[in-house]
This record gives sequence, structure tokens and C-alpha cells, in this order.
Amino acid sequence: MAVAESKPLDAAIIREAARWLVRLHSGEAGPADHAAFERWRAGSPDRELAWQRAQRLTQQFNAVPAALGVPLLTREPRVSRRTALRTLAAMGFAAPAAAWLGYRFHYGQEGAHRTAVGESHDLMLADGSQVLLNTDTGMDVRYSDAARVVQLRSGEVYVRTAADKAVRPFYVETPQGRLQALGTRFVVRQLDGRDAMTELTVLEHRVAVTLANGGSARIFNAGESVRFTAGAFLQSDLPAGARQPSGVAPGWTRGVIEADNMRLDTLLAEVSRYRRGVVRCDPEVAGLRLSGVFRLHDTDALLAVVANTLDLRVVTRTSYWVTLAR
Amino acid sequence: MSNPLQPIQLLCETHYEWLCQWWRRQLGHGDEASDFAHDTFLRVLRNPEEVRTLRQPRAYLTTIARGLLNDHWRRRSLERAWLQAIAEIPPEMEASPEMLVGVQQALQQLDRMLANLAPQAREVFVLSQLEGLTYVEIAARTGLSDRTVKRYMAQGFEVCLTLLEH
Repeated sequence: MAVAESKPLDAAIIREAARWLVRLHSGEAGPADHAAFERWRAGSPDRELAWQRAQRLTQQFNAVPAALGVPLLTREPRVSRRTALRTLAAMGFAAPAAAWLGYRFHYGQEGAHRTAVGESHDLMLADGSQVLLNTDTGMDVRYSDAARVVQLRSGEVYVRTAADKAVRPFYVETPQGRLQALGTRFVVRQLDGRDAMTELTVLEHRVAVTLANGGSARIFNAGESVRFTAGAFLQSDLPAGARQPSGVAPGWTRGVIEADNMRLDTLLAEVSRYRRGVVRCDPEVAGLRLSGVFRLHDTDALLAVVANTLDLRVVTRTSYWVTLAR
Repeated sequence: MSNPLQPIQLLCETHYEWLCQWWRRQLGHGDEASDFAHDTFLRVLRNPEEVRTLRQPRAYLTTIARGLLNDHWRRRSLERAWLQAIAEIPPEMEASPEMLVGVQQALQQLDRMLANLAPQAREVFVLSQLEGLTYVEIAARTGLSDRTVKRYMAQGFEVCLTLLEH
């Protein structure tokens, strides 16, 4: 930057110059206008400087072919911000999940394990099996000569079993049933509330489920997802967009939420799992949709990005009560 | 105490970590956070006398950083749009790399300046300067009044003459 040359010109001179230029560029200026402008320009060195600057501006415009420049320079800023977000998201996708706040690696102790809201643990069990605990999750690990058992009390876990030398079966138990891993990777979520149930998503190979109230086991294959209570398997009511593509571990195992044309209220419900308090949006914007990969390590920043993308405001009553609104 | 840069040095030392955090949050990653924090302080240096009377240094830094952040997003979005546009240039146009670099640099400068205009004013100004349309033609194309076109043109020239570098 040439500092000496770009010294501030007086605002009044610039305004005068601008007025002249408007006249000269109108397409209606005649010889008399040009002559009058020449007289103005010769009136002071600063006017001359303003004129030279206008010349440079013209040179810059001349360097750009109109067919290229018009669409680029008049592009819709909101759309492009979203594009920028996607670029960022793509970068975020490749970053290690360890950036997620509270993400820790543990070596395989038996006993109770727990994560707080917004926290995640990576647990390597004694036999080499891996259990990732998502936010707000509680579970017990019990290994015996007869079986390897993970008892899920609340929350969500991702399990990748290792082949066991002692050929002990690997179970995940929930109040609704027992899931037996058949050499596999899968995700189990415990859904609390009035209709307590378990949600299973099989990523690889197969998982056999025996309901707590008895009956014969049912086997689920890679790419399948099911919810069940202690007494029955439920019809899958997961919206198509929410289903996990076969074999791909869910975003949270990498510290992100992946949204593909997701409704805002669905996204916020998901985000609220990772922070304390209430996250909601005005009903009138609940149906807005967005795509992107959002990092979980800072949900304040996440909400700011979402709001920015959709041109919304983040209304923070307290840090426990956040609303997105127009 | 006579060193005019002392308050700025103090500002930098006190708030550097916090500012890096701020950038990390905004960018969603930490790769360039310290670079942007430096840029923020460089911009503060342009107005050293303001720093001495600062009541709320973090609010001040946030304002400046936000401006930089907007610049950053705009550069990014132009970059993307540019890459897409040149990918669509038909091969028979034979655009040389040197020419493309020149065009891109001009575009970056123009885009930075024009960002200070409202979208409609920007459109008017660009149509006049790039397509060479007369004001009557622009008014017809955009549906704006003749007066409004002239007002937007004046805004465009004012902004560009104020911000033009080199």
C-alpha cells in the first residue's frame, strides 16, 4: 500500500469530484460539461489528486471483462456467505475430533463412566474394543470370563468391537433390551422421557436384539436403524434425511453435527443436547433449512454461525435461554 | 509516559489471548486465529489516539475485529465465485494466467470498496462502470428512478475515491 499516495483526501473535495463524475458518466455530458470540469480540476492540487484517483478507478474497472465482473461484483452476499460456510465446514470436517471440548481418551477401566453435557469420551476397553460416549451419557463396563457387557444407562454410545481371544460375546444392555454385537460397529442411544426406548443404528455387520420382556432375538444389518421399547420393536419413524448413510459413523463421533438440508428446529434440538439450558427458535423460522457441518466444541459459536447463515439474531436471555429469531 | 505507542502495547498484551479466542470462535478453527489477532492490532495502530481514551477496550477490539471478519468472509465468497466463474470460461477465450491474475486483483480491490454500498447502489454503479450503460438505460433496467440512479452513482464514486489504494 502506498501510504504517501493514499493520504486522506478531504471529504468535501471527494464529494465535489463525485458529483462531477456522476455528470460525466451520465451519458448526457456535452463539451461544455467537460470544459467546466477541466476548470474545476485545475483549481487545486487536491482536486487534481481526486481526479487521478478517479482515473485509477476507471483503470481497475477496465481490467475486468463485464461478463465476468457484473455477476461477481453484484453477487448475493447471503448466498455467498453460505458458500463460505460450506468451505469452512469442509475444513472442519477434516479436523481431528479431539478439538471437541472435553474430549478425552481413556484406557479401559471397568466400572462406571459418565460424560457431562457437552462432553465426550473415547474409551478403549481391555480387549481392544472402542466405546465413544456422546454428551450426557452414563454407562457401566463389566467384563467377566463369560461376557463383555456395556450397560448403557443414559445417553448415546458408539461401539466398535474387537475380536476377543477368549471368544466372549459383547453385549450392550439398556433397560429395553440386550444387543449382541456380531463383529461390528454400531450406535446405541437411550431415549428417556415418557416413552423410554432404545435406538440402534448398525454401521457394519450385524447386531442381534433381545427385548427385555423376552421373545426371540431379531437381527439387524448394516445400514438399518430401529427403535424399541422393552416390549416391542417400533416402526422406524426416522425422517429419510436423518438416517445415517451405511457404514458412516455419526457426526458426533468426530465432534460435529452434519446437517443436510436440515430444518432449523431439528438442528437446534440436536444442538441442545450439547449445552445446558434451552435452545429454541421462533416458530416462524423453524422451517428454514440449512446444510453444513457444525462443530460442537463451542455451541455459542455454532449458534452464531447458524444465525449468521440464515440472517437471524441470537437472543440470549441468559446463557441458559437462547432463541434464534428474525 | 511520552511514548504514544505504550497504551497500544498494553492493550495488545492484556487482550491478546482473549482476542485469539474470539477469532477461533468466529472462524470455527484456530489455524489463523493469531494472524487475525495481529491484523486486528495493526488496524488499532491506525488510530493510536483513540486507544488512550478507551473505556471498553474489548468492545472496541470486537468492533474492529468484526470488520476484519466481514472482509474475510467477503474475500472468501469472492474467491469461490471467481474460481467457479473462471472454470466456466469457454476454452476458445484463451485467458492467459497473467491476464487472470490481473483481473482477479482488480476484482478484489473493487469488491472490497463496493462492499460499502447497499446492494442496489452496487448494482447501479457496476452496470455503469462495467457495462457502460447510460443512466437512462440503468433506470430502465433496474426500474429505479433517474434521481435514485444518480444518487447511487454519487455514492459509488464517493466510496471508491475515498477507499482506493495504490
